[in-house]
Amino acid sequence: MSNPVLVIGAGVAGMTAAVELADSGIKAILVERKETVGGNALDLYKAFPTDDCFYCFEGNRWRPGIRKCFYRSALIDQPNITLKMNSEIDEISGAPGQFKVKLTKGPEYIHPRKCTMCGLCLEKSKAFHLLSPQCQPQAVVFNPEKTDDGAKQAEEECPTKAINLNAQPVEETIQVSDIIIATGYHELQPINVDEYKYGKYPNIITQLELAKIIDPNSDSGGVLVRPSDGKPAKRVMMVQCVGSRDENYYPYCSKICCIFALKHASILTQERDDVRVSVVYMDIRTYERYERYYRRSRESGVEFLRGRVSLVQPREDDTLDITVYDSLLNKYLKFTVDLFVLSSALEPPEGMDKLIETLGIKSASGFVAAADPASEDEVVIGDHIYACGTALGPAEVPESVTQARAVVSKILQSRK
Amino acid sequence: MAETKEPAGPPVTLTEPIEMSKLDVKFREEIHSMPNGEELSACFACSTCTAACPIANIWKYKPHQLIRMILLGMRDEVLSSDEIWLCLTCFQCQERCPQKVRVTDIFFDCKNLAAEEGKIPANIIGLAKELLEKGQLYTVTADWEREDMGLEPEVPGLSVDALKNILKETRTNKIVDSGE
Ligand SMILES: Cc1cc2nc3c(=O)[nH]c(=O)nc-3n(C[C@H](O)[C@H](O)[C@H](O)COP(=O)(O)OP(=O)(O)OC[C@H]3O[C@@H](n4cnc5c(N)ncnc54)[C@H](O)[C@@H]3O)c2cc1C
Ligand code: SF4
Ligand code: SF4
Ligand code: SF4
Ligand code: SF4
Repeated sequence: MSNPVLVIGAGVAGMTAAVELADSGIKAILVERKETVGGNALDLYKAFPTDDCFYCFEGNRWRPGIRKCFYRSALIDQPNITLKMNSEIDEISGAPGQFKVKLTKGPEYIHPRKCTMCGLCLEKSKAFHLLSPQCQPQAVVFNPEKTDDGAKQAEEECPTKAINLNAQPVEETIQVSDIIIATGYHELQPINVDEYKYGKYPNIITQLELAKIIDPNSDSGGVLVRPSDGKPAKRVMMVQCVGSRDENYYPYCSKICCIFALKHASILTQERDDVRVSVVYMDIRTYERYERYYRRSRESGVEFLRGRVSLVQPREDDTLDITVYDSLLNKYLKFTVDLFVLSSALEPPEGMDKLIETLGIKSASGFVAAADPASEDEVVIGDHIYACGTALGPAEVPESVTQARAVVSKILQSRK
Repeated sequence: MAETKEPAGPPVTLTEPIEMSKLDVKFREEIHSMPNGEELSACFACSTCTAACPIANIWKYKPHQLIRMILLGMRDEVLSSDEIWLCLTCFQCQERCPQKVRVTDIFFDCKNLAAEEGKIPANIIGLAKELLEKGQLYTVTADWEREDMGLEPEVPGLSVDALKNILKETRTNKIVDSGE
């Protein structure tokens, strides 16, 4: 019974599950493939439904402070959590309750506890960079493909001797009682939805890319700028349902893209100087409490166009001419905009299919599905296998956290 | 659907609504059962087809409206509309439809239905006649076109006689006959 629980994915859902298990005295091994925890919520700035800045956990009063502190205290100082960064699951075998998991931990070029983020190495070589001021572990990352003399110099001069350029990947096998899949989602890069010309012109971006631009920690300090030249952007057009609700891409509704589009539209019209936003939609889906975002953005002057985009044409100065068919007016309208933002589908992350196959669990549109679709236990996806957050399909943070807590409660019950 | 009784007294509003009970509820089924109509009812009125269409700008009824009219049962309006014949058959609407509705193909179905009822615009009959008589729609008469490009005057291997014979046995012939 003392086997630890494996949590795959250190986004909001995986971290909540790991922290709450650990706080209940159960050991958790948290495996994350990237070099920082936080997942997709890392650079999101303001969060619905509370409009808190993502940097502070106002709603999380029992663990107050800024997000960085939450991550750090939870993941570094909580002795029941073993964090494995930069790691991939290779194989899962064994019976439920005593799974054998083989994994590869990527090379630890930078010692996460020794690095003080002094910045010395960043000046010496382009091989080092800081992922985000919010990153956790709080350490720089190293890209071996860019190794140069500067990197070797930094290794010698690092004041805390945190750098080891010869670090190697480590393979290990662990035994765990339960598996929690918290692998989250990936935002579709809509290159194939060719009518929107994403990937062809720099000022055509996705909502997650927009979130990164308007984050106060961005290169522009949160000012809305055009990627083409870094100059302020004033006219923005968003288009909904890109790759979602589309039998050619993903048949499902990605559920939260209407809400984050309205969140961004409101931030831009209310907090930035004379930015004009138009939203092209076919349905606005602001379920339950989110309807107020819709009303608020209408009040703040966001322009809503019911219809679809006919044509996107770039101009010499990197602005874009966009023709929209307005189905309510039954007219074609032409706009010139600085930024064209695509509300792109939320799709299963890379490797999800392999994980689903290895574990022999059910799938729904590529995401993980409940073992018994008719039951209320949507987080139970197999014998001693659970899932939470967006690994189960598009969801907001509160829902992801609630599911993570449901998983913890299930595991606690099973161990009584 | 039973026709609703004429209400007594003057009309309450000045709008003139389309009387739903007068529409042909079976039209939807009719199109649906045709080879291309399978996905018809999947249409969720997004208007992508109209946004994609290079010509609907000048149409009275836009592609998504025609699909809507089929779903509602506006058989006469659809089959006697100019739009189904003005369609360039470029397939852009069908290509982009997120619900895989075969918009262009459905307009072909509509054209076939309209043709069976003799609702064919005169210029289309003219084209059919041309096809029957010459075996091709565009005859290369002016040698200079080919000459300019350094080609021999006659299109090599072009044989229109076989085609003419085949066309005589097809409905193209019937169309021309009934049109005259
Ligand atoms: C533009 C935008 C704005 C948003 N704004 C809000 C908002 O304001 N409020 C709100 O509530 N929600 C918002 N969301 C939704 C929010 O991002 C998600 O609800 C939340 O991030 C889900 O967390 P998660 O832990 O389920 O998944 P993720 O954040 O995707 O985390 C999954 C983690 O698992 C890792 N992983 C994946 N596969 C593996 C594997 N095989 N092995 C190891 N690790 C793996 C990933 O690297 C990642 O770190 C927004 C989303 C977008 C796109
Ligand atoms: S020099 Fe060392 S301590 Fe400073 S940021 Fe680089 S790795 Fe971290
Ligand atoms: S949430 Fe809105 S934008 Fe996203 S798929 Fe659903 S309807 Fe489209
Ligand atoms: S694009 Fe397809 S789903 Fe949308 S209105 Fe046209 S036919 Fe209907
Ligand atoms: S096939 Fe016809 S209806 Fe469809 S886009 Fe082309 S011209 Fe328009």
